[in-house]
Amino acid sequence: MAVSSRNEATRGWGNLLFALPFLSVYVWLLVYPLLAGIRLSLYRANLFGGEHFIAFENYVRLFCDRTFLQALGNSLMFVGLTVPVLVLLALMLALSLNRATRFAAFMRSIVFASSVLSVTVLTIIWRQVLVPDGGLLSHAAHLLNLTPVPFLSDQRFVLPSLAVITVWWSLGLPMILFLSALQQVPRSVYEAAALDRATPWSVFRRITLPAVMPAVILVAAYECALQFQVFGQPQLLTQGGPNGASRPLVLYIYETGFNHWDIGYAAAASQMLFALILVALLVPQAARWLPAFLKGRRA
Amino acid sequence: MSRVRGRRVWQGLRYAFCAVMLILILLPLAWTVFLSLRNNVDLMRQAPLSLFGPYTLGNYGELLKNRTLFRWFFNSMVVSGFSVAGVLALSSLAGYAFGRLHFPFRNWLYAFVLMGLAIPDQSVILTRHHIFSTLHWHNTYLALILPGLSAPLGVFLMTETFRAIPKGMEDAARLDRASPFMIFWKVLLPQTVPAQASLGIYTFLLSWNDYWWPLISATRPEMFTLTEGMAAAQTNYAEVTGMGVLMAEAVLAGLPVLIIYIAFQKHIVSAITGMVKL
Amino acid sequence: MKRWLFLLALLMLASCEKPDTRPTITVQRIFGDCRAHVPKGRPATINPNGECEIITGLLDRFEAENPDIRLKIITVAWPGYDQLSAQFAADDAPDLVTMHMAVIPDYKSHHLLMPMSEDLKEQGITPDQFTPVARRAVSMDGDIYGLPFDSWTQLFHINMNLFAKAGLVKDGKPILPRNAGELLVQARQFRERTGKPYFVQSMVNERAAYARNLYTYLLAQDEVIFPDPNHIRLNTPRAREIVGLFKQIYDENMTTRDQDYGTATAAFVNGQGGVYIVGTWMIGAFDAEAATPGRPLYKGYTVVPYPVLFGDRPAAFVDGHAWVMPVKHRTPEQTQAVMRLLKFLSVHEADWTRSGHLSSMKAVITDPAYQVQPHRRDLMAITSYGQGLPIDVQRQFAIQDMLSEELAAAITGAKPVDQALHDAETRINDMLTNLS
Repeated sequence: MAVSSRNEATRGWGNLLFALPFLSVYVWLLVYPLLAGIRLSLYRANLFGGEHFIAFENYVRLFCDRTFLQALGNSLMFVGLTVPVLVLLALMLALSLNRATRFAAFMRSIVFASSVLSVTVLTIIWRQVLVPDGGLLSHAAHLLNLTPVPFLSDQRFVLPSLAVITVWWSLGLPMILFLSALQQVPRSVYEAAALDRATPWSVFRRITLPAVMPAVILVAAYECALQFQVFGQPQLLTQGGPNGASRPLVLYIYETGFNHWDIGYAAAASQMLFALILVALLVPQAARWLPAFLKGRRA
Repeated sequence: MSRVRGRRVWQGLRYAFCAVMLILILLPLAWTVFLSLRNNVDLMRQAPLSLFGPYTLGNYGELLKNRTLFRWFFNSMVVSGFSVAGVLALSSLAGYAFGRLHFPFRNWLYAFVLMGLAIPDQSVILTRHHIFSTLHWHNTYLALILPGLSAPLGVFLMTETFRAIPKGMEDAARLDRASPFMIFWKVLLPQTVPAQASLGIYTFLLSWNDYWWPLISATRPEMFTLTEGMAAAQTNYAEVTGMGVLMAEAVLAGLPVLIIYIAFQKHIVSAITGMVKL
Repeated sequence: MKRWLFLLALLMLASCEKPDTRPTITVQRIFGDCRAHVPKGRPATINPNGECEIITGLLDRFEAENPDIRLKIITVAWPGYDQLSAQFAADDAPDLVTMHMAVIPDYKSHHLLMPMSEDLKEQGITPDQFTPVARRAVSMDGDIYGLPFDSWTQLFHINMNLFAKAGLVKDGKPILPRNAGELLVQARQFRERTGKPYFVQSMVNERAAYARNLYTYLLAQDEVIFPDPNHIRLNTPRAREIVGLFKQIYDENMTTRDQDYGTATAAFVNGQGGVYIVGTWMIGAFDAEAATPGRPLYKGYTVVPYPVLFGDRPAAFVDGHAWVMPVKHRTPEQTQAVMRLLKFLSVHEADWTRSGHLSSMKAVITDPAYQVQPHRRDLMAITSYGQGLPIDVQRQFAIQDMLSEELAAAITGAKPVDQALHDAETRINDMLTNLS
């Protein structure tokens, strides 16, 4: 009969073939290296060969390592500075530019324009904006008779400066994602609200916000994961300085692996990074699941 | 009455916000172009630059004489182009399998793939380097493209997209006894174009901006990607006084991608809004 | 569709090169990329005595004189060891690469460098031709692991015009402090009379200068920095004194601040300070400035070794560049080609020293033609008394990085001096004891 033939066609090992190309690359280049990395973190190993099993000694050493803890703190702070601002600004841009006017289209292009630049172009541009000798901001400071601020060489300002640069650079994609979420809402809903004489605020709260909330959560989680992996901006602009104030975890891992050749230790640090990102991605899942769980409890 | 005024205030705020953002985004870009048109000697002088000062196209001239920039650009285009094609192909096929087909252990495998979302590149980069070293595949396009194909985000996106397509779509085709592949190719895939567009852009950007992996895999200058080559130029600058040239290089590196994006933009926007019309 | 395939095929054909049967050797070097103003086979149009310009010219000349060898030159950003490590790991190392002598122990101890004494002897190059400093640095386990190319050190580059204005010139020579106290007095006097800071220093993103300053003054006092190859000793009264002096210089605004290497160099050239602490490699460039009328350094540039501020005899922390051969499979033709290039570079070392680097060959040092170049006579003694770190200390660049970072924190006031020295010790010892 029709029903059973449908079931037969959609079941069976043959269907696995569709997923096989991806799964092969996935296992070969992501899962296996992860497991190898975890294994490596249990050894004292050198970049050029030679390893020596030491179990969890690397992890113990990490937690006593001031530089690592500083890098960890920097990464957390960097994400804390970057992601909320990024999500908020991108959302505001999406809301403001969700129109069919030519001006809106023009602005969307401009915002996205900053995102298509590569990280090296980004750092070249922003060094010339922030540097106290000849940078754009120092020119402005001189015009206003103020002393230029050394954004990239002062411990207090360096991480916020990197955050500003990163937000400037990353607005494009979240904005597009929010826009497409906003455009899911049919015009008829807005028209109905207008007929009901709803205030702009309640339109926002009841229609717009719920429509865009899943995208916000997705973007926030993903951007957290992404910004925990920041590398190019600090490496090219500040090399982690001054005094390690702008050294995030990835730069620490890179230096430990390639400058100190201590790859077992670097592998341990990168497992810590993995754990951090896992938490960042699981938290929104838990947040979604928690209210339902609590409600279930109360009932 | 007050509602009209309220709306005007909203509008005013909107325009002010957009204007501020426009300036903040354009200013650094404009500054770079400005610096690229100034003489290197002037820039070395460290004196404030006047807006009316002497302008020159010399920096661009110097750059265009040097063919390596074009080679780097070509490399980046090849790598990013094939990365996009590869990711779209692999993710769509896998997304179809996880989203519309059934096979043993499907849900387990899907969960297995999702866990990969948390794995950062840095946890795997050294072993990947070792894998490609053993195969002697460094300094090839393959080494630059393959790692990007293992990212699970595309599969996640496409699976959700395929799942979201109404169940009824395939019935007609199945009654015609079409194979699962034909259903995929002719019926379902066309429905996913907006998601493909988003995934494509995202993958392109990720690949274009990739820095650490090309740094350690493509060590020969003719294999550098644009991002990597410009990083080398940036640190080399400190040894030779070529600030204006560096700025010109930044402009030349950013411009083509911008132009491509602007050309593509209409397609992207219509693809995304096309989804609304459904 | 067919049209696109045809175009693609054409593109691929166009990018194919005619097969080249000459032996090809890859030569990897630092020193920057200046091809834009050094046309192939012709002299540099700007800065002819710069490192980049000279080495580009030399390699071009070798290619012209040896048309049967093909050179593939790779320029990497300083110091180039990230790439080199990645290349070694990928089994794709270059045939010849520039390497700081301080780093040779690392690569040699991992069996990544080829011993060269036999092959060099065939070319007529023997270790006794090297200066003592250079010879010490490349000799390990009874063999030579690199061809010395130069020795370099940090120096006090002086803007004599500003010094004259500050009253610090006598008989055409700069008046230099004989101890820390005099330095402070003279620096204050300089500021009063010229309104500019005494020192110009690269302080931002600077991973070397700080360590070199400290090493120099510790060596001057015969301080043992490495009691054994796996431990460093930094938190000593003498070290604290030295760092304290630099800190005081910073606190009292006797130095430029917030400048990175490029900006500091430009600042000195633009007359923004009296003394720029930088290396030998800038002598050529600064001499060129001193010969240009209208420039702040015109007829007002000299360079001297570090004045003896601590201890009682001159000392210099010295490193150098050498050409090393990574361990890899080479055909006999390639090995021959590498040797010919090494011979060429050794013979033309005097040309390289136009940049200001000190020669590593005795014959050049004692050559009157070399000595007559500006400033060289003042600096010659360094090639005898200069010291590097003990050659069994590994990861010297990583040590330098960490030390400089901590010293920067101390000098700019981000951390107390003894805390910084203690942290530097801890970090460095942690790395050294965990070497595998």
